[in-house]
Amino acid sequence: MDAPAAFRQQLLESIPRLRRYARSLNFDVSRADDLTQQVLERALSRWQQFDAQREMSVWLLSIAHNAHLDTLRREARMSVTDPAEMQSAQDAAGGDPGTDVGLRIDLLSALARLVPEQREPLLLVCVEQLSYAEVAQVMNIPVGTVMSRVCRARAALRRFLDVGAAAAPTLRRVV
Amino acid sequence: MAERYVTDEEISAWVDGELGPADRARVQAWLQTHPDDAARASRWAADRDALRVLLGPAADEPVPEALRAAVMRPSVPPRWALAAAAAGLLVAGAVAGGAAVWQWQQQRGAHLEAAATAGWVQRAVFAHSVYVPEPRHAVEVKAQEEHLARWLTRRIEVPVKLFDLSAQGFELVGGRLLPDGAGKSAQLMYQDAQGLRVTVYLRKPEPGAETAFRYEQQGELGMFYWVESGAGYALVGALPRATLLTLAQAIYRQHPGALPPEGTPPPAPPAGKG
Repeated sequence: MDAPAAFRQQLLESIPRLRRYARSLNFDVSRADDLTQQVLERALSRWQQFDAQREMSVWLLSIAHNAHLDTLRREARMSVTDPAEMQSAQDAAGGDPGTDVGLRIDLLSALARLVPEQREPLLLVCVEQLSYAEVAQVMNIPVGTVMSRVCRARAALRRFLDVGAAAAPTLRRVV
Repeated sequence: MAERYVTDEEISAWVDGELGPADRARVQAWLQTHPDDAARASRWAADRDALRVLLGPAADEPVPEALRAAVMRPSVPPRWALAAAAAGLLVAGAVAGGAAVWQWQQQRGAHLEAAATAGWVQRAVFAHSVYVPEPRHAVEVKAQEEHLARWLTRRIEVPVKLFDLSAQGFELVGGRLLPDGAGKSAQLMYQDAQGLRVTVYLRKPEPGAETAFRYEQQGELGMFYWVESGAGYALVGALPRATLLTLAQAIYRQHPGALPPEGTPPPAPPAGKG
C-alpha cells in the first residue's frame, strides 16, 4: 500500500533538516544527499510503522543515525580526516564568505576528529537542538550515556580547537 | 550547608538547559564562585553557537529535485496506472523494494521527427502567460457557475471535466474559451493557497495525433501534455517537474473514460506510436 499524501507532505517538510544533519555527518554534499535519500526511501517503506503521535523529525533522525552507521561499517573508515580534504570539502560546501576561513576549517577539522559516538550526540544537541531524551531515542542509548558523551565531546572539541590554534601555522598553510 | 562538588557533566547539562530547577540553581551558584568552570561553560556555549552557525545554513538551501521526487514517487501502481500502462503511457521502471516503480514514458527516438513543440502546446503556454497574471479577469466564467463544463464541452467538441485538484492543494478558479488555430480550446485555471496558478488547456486533437505523455520546460514554465480518449491536454505552470507530474497524474486519473469498472478488460493501446 502506498504512503498517504499527508505522510509524504510531512516528509517533504522534513527534508531541509535531514539535509542539515546529513551534511554535519558527511561534509561532502553529494554523500550527505545520498544519506538523505536513503532515509527518505526507508521512511516511505516503513510508513505504516510510524506512530503519527510521535515527532516525525526524531523518527527520521533515528533512521538517519542507523543508515549512517551502516555506511560507516560498510566503509570501515577512520573518523579522522586530513586537513587538505577538509579544505576541499569546505570549499565545495560553500559558506559565509565573511567568516574567518581559518576558524571554519579549525572547527570542521576538530569536529571530524571526534569519534562518531561523541560527534553525533554533540551535533544532535547543538545543531538539531534535540533534548537529551530525544537523542537517547535517536541513538537507542540511555539518557545518562547521552549526557556523558556530550560532555566528553565538547571537552574533546575544545581540546582540538586549542591545539589547533597553537598549531595554527600548519593548518593555515593548507588554506 | 556544605557546597556539593559540581561535575563537568552537570556543567555540560546546564549549558544545554537539561537540569531540573534545584540542580540548575546549585550549578549556577557554583559557577558564580568558580571562575575557571564558568569560563569553560562559556566556551562550551560559544562552541555550540559556532557549530550552529557553521552547519545550520544547509537547512536553508532549496531542496534538490531528486530528493523531492524521491518522496512523491509512487511505489505501488494504483489501478489508474494499470489502465494508463495498458494505453501505452506508462512503463514499469526499476524495481524498488520489490514493487515496480511506474514512470511516465520518456520521449522515444521516433518523436524526434516532431522536433519543434506542437503548435497547440505553444498556444497553451502563450494563453497561460496571458491570463495567469490577471488579478481580476483571469477567467471568463467562474468555477461556481454550473454551466461552465457543459458550455466548454459544447464549444470545443471534447468532453470537458472540472478536474478536482484539491488533494494537491489547488482550487478551480474558472475557465474560458479560446481560439486554437482554426478551432477552439478551453482553458481551466487553478490556484493554490499561495496564489500560484496552473492552467489546463483542452482541445480537439488532429486525427492520428501522437498520444505520448511529454514534458517540456520553457523558462520558468514547465508543461506536461498528452492526448487521451480524443482530447488533447496541456498542463502549464511555474512549478517543479515533480509537482507538475503529480497534478498531471491527478488530471489523467479523472479524464472522462478513466477508471473502467471492475472486470472490464483494459483498453487496447492507441494505434500509432504511444
